[in-house]
Amino acid sequence: MSRILEINIFRYNPEDPASVPRMQTYYLEETPNLNLFIALNRLKEEQDPSLMFDFCCRAAICGACAMVINGKPQLACKTKTKDFPNQINLMPLPGFKLIGDLCVDTGSWFRIMNEKLEAWVHTNKEFDPEAEEERMENSLAEQIYELDRCIECGCCIAACATAQMRSGFLGAVALNRIARFILDPRDKRSEQQYFEIIGTDQGIFGCMGLLACEDICPKNIPLQDQLGYLRKKMGVLAVKNYLFWKKRS
Amino acid sequence: MRATNVRKINFSNTVAYLDLSQAITGIFLCLFMLTHTLLVFSIIFGEKCFNKVALFFESTGLAWSSGIFLTIIFLFHFLLTARKIPFSFTEQAKFWSQAKMINHQDTWLWLVQVLTGIVILLFGSIHIWVILNDLPITALKSKHLMQKGGWVYFYVLFLFSVAFHLGLGLYRIGVKWGFITSQNRLKSKKYLFILVGTLIMIDSISLLFFYF
Ligand code: SF4
Ligand code: SF4
Ligand code: FES
Repeated sequence: MSRILEINIFRYNPEDPASVPRMQTYYLEETPNLNLFIALNRLKEEQDPSLMFDFCCRAAICGACAMVINGKPQLACKTKTKDFPNQINLMPLPGFKLIGDLCVDTGSWFRIMNEKLEAWVHTNKEFDPEAEEERMENSLAEQIYELDRCIECGCCIAACATAQMRSGFLGAVALNRIARFILDPRDKRSEQQYFEIIGTDQGIFGCMGLLACEDICPKNIPLQDQLGYLRKKMGVLAVKNYLFWKKRS
Repeated sequence: MRATNVRKINFSNTVAYLDLSQAITGIFLCLFMLTHTLLVFSIIFGEKCFNKVALFFESTGLAWSSGIFLTIIFLFHFLLTARKIPFSFTEQAKFWSQAKMINHQDTWLWLVQVLTGIVILLFGSIHIWVILNDLPITALKSKHLMQKGGWVYFYVLFLFSVAFHLGLGLYRIGVKWGFITSQNRLKSKKYLFILVGTLIMIDSISLLFFYF
């Protein structure tokens, strides 16, 4: 016989003055291979049309469905109910603006973050639409792609106690993105320019090495190694700056 | 956008130096602690041996000079790390609810590190005060101290705090500065826990020798 799942969902609609934050319990019969994407849609269709949650790709590539599942920030569409006990608790991601129930606004956060990083290729080259695309070593392209796989789901921010305590903290997703641009030979920014963006308490030196980001990232981006790499690089640069300045004066 | 157009943000190296100093003072204090453990361990070869070691540090003036030097580094390390400790209640509450929510080992261990750090700040100051005010160090005096009142409990708690703080601190430095990578993370953690265990064992043996 299949299990009856007890799904407790955080309910609150900030738009509705009568709404109070609470947990609401739903029951659902488990079907083979059930994931939370299907489960939530069934609940909405069969039991409660007022339930709010986000989905788009249902294939772990858009990052819209991130939520806290039994304490861990995860993608709902990638989460099978069979890996969980009968009771499943769903909460919205902390650290982002709540839209309602399980929906949060990660978009604004990521927009501000990307603007702070100037997360685009900085170059002096005039763009020539006729020219053939520049070539790049395959291994390098793969290295960049490995970091570029981030889907901006926000799980690493929701998992990071530093980001939760200090709202200006850029977080692993941003630092990973800078590591990606450092790798990219088309981005002509100097080390010093990168340092100006992340060599602060809001950047790499604010990270306390708790590694929840590394352990939680649903795309398994190698975050720990990027953080270590950046800190070393930025630390060495600061020491170099010191020696240089000494020499000059 | 052109690379030359990138706007200059008010920038300084200070934060980097502070962070670097935090790690360096930490490593320095670790090395000191390991030496200290071995020196105190000389008690197992008898009081004479311990006294000889103590006398060496006394006669060369190392006892008080390094004592003062280390106190300064110790306080400096506290000031640097305090930049990361949540002092405001909102931050504390956020950290606590976060730790409870994700129930993640390394996040809990950070809390252990903060708490042991505070114990060390308090107990370490008392310890340094008591010892430096009663130089020279001799086995007999230490024994007296140990057998008096609650001092054993004081030192047992102190010892555990130091050992864990040291092991966790090294782990954190390794992770933050990229010496511990995702490849060797679990192994490094295991070795550091072995180090913590060994430290506790050695220091406990010394304590027992003083106690009886
Ligand atoms: S780094 Fe991972 S957890 Fe963070 S936003 Fe990107 S995919 Fe999500
Ligand atoms: S290592 Fe920890 S503090 Fe640093 S970004 Fe990841 S979760 Fe946050
Ligand atoms: S729906 Fe796109 S990641 Fe889950």
